[in-house]
Amino acid sequence: MKRCRTCKGYQVAIKLSSEFVAAIIVGALLGYLLDHFAGTGPWGMIVLLLLGFCAGVLNVLRSAGMVAAPHPADQLGKGIKNKSDDA
Amino acid sequence: MAGDKVDPVHQFVVNKIIPIEIGGIDFSFTNASLFMVATLVVATCFLYFTTSTRSLVPGRMQSVSEISYEFIASMLREGAGSHGMKFFPMVFSLFMFILTANMLGMVPYFFTVTSQIVVTFALALFVIGTVLFYGFYKHGLGFLNVFVPSGVPGILLPLVIAIEVISFLSRPISLSVRLFANMLAGHITLKVFAGFVASLGTLGALGIGGAILPLIMTVALTGLNSSCPSSRPMSLRC
Repeated sequence: MKRCRTCKGYQVAIKLSSEFVAAIIVGALLGYLLDHFAGTGPWGMIVLLLLGFCAGVLNVLRSAGMVAAPHPADQLGKGIKNKSDDA
Repeated sequence: MAGDKVDPVHQFVVNKIIPIEIGGIDFSFTNASLFMVATLVVATCFLYFTTSTRSLVPGRMQSVSEISYEFIASMLREGAGSHGMKFFPMVFSLFMFILTANMLGMVPYFFTVTSQIVVTFALALFVIGTVLFYGFYKHGLGFLNVFVPSGVPGILLPLVIAIEVISFLSRPISLSVRLFANMLAGHITLKVFAGFVASLGTLGALGIGGAILPLIMTVALTGLNSSCPSSRPMSLRC
């Protein structure tokens, strides 16, 4: 995070927009695959695309530091550290 | 003639150098492969030969290697604790690969490997694959707990878990798109401004005078793009 303070505005913009768009793409893709293999009509894509929007907003708020809960990937690193520290 | 000189996206075309086809799948050795091999060779040789003297008081080149080592080591210790150091070889290899690829891309007529989304996406998949593999290896199914935030009412749990899973899966895409977009945008801007210099220069005295502005921009952008590669590998984690 220390790095990000030195990031220029351009890089912050790229970061926030890519976080938002990526979640929507993943949501739509998962929905499409679900529909394709489970044959659940258009509903899988509709629901997962909307969930993708939610995840995108969450991603953006997270990388802007406005949500306290860490990203699952970062949480994992912390979990590994705590567990090995106990052991 | 002027058309292909100024075409700013021509530099990203992948050419086959040695066509290879195995079982109907294209395995050709392309210019992208060539520059990936070149990146590996340059990075390996640089680190090997600069540290081979092992002098106690490092020379200039040995300092460069040691500074990059220290930089990654301190970043990893800060972000993942001393236990994260077992991933140091992987993180340092990735860092050196991306840094060297970006630096080679700044040489005129060289191909920029990291401007191909296939490459950056493969790197991001590799990273996230390691995370998944190590998470399941270390915690078993308890790894899935990272998707369950604490203190959420039971009725919202399926919704929140779905959102967390999507958020997790979006990480490799956002990381790869970020590096790819940075490199693509940087090189296209550079090429466009450099193209202005060439096409204005052919217009006679007034054109040469006018070409000074884009020339300054080109020099500035080259500096910017050469100083940024050192920060750009970081976008794989940042």
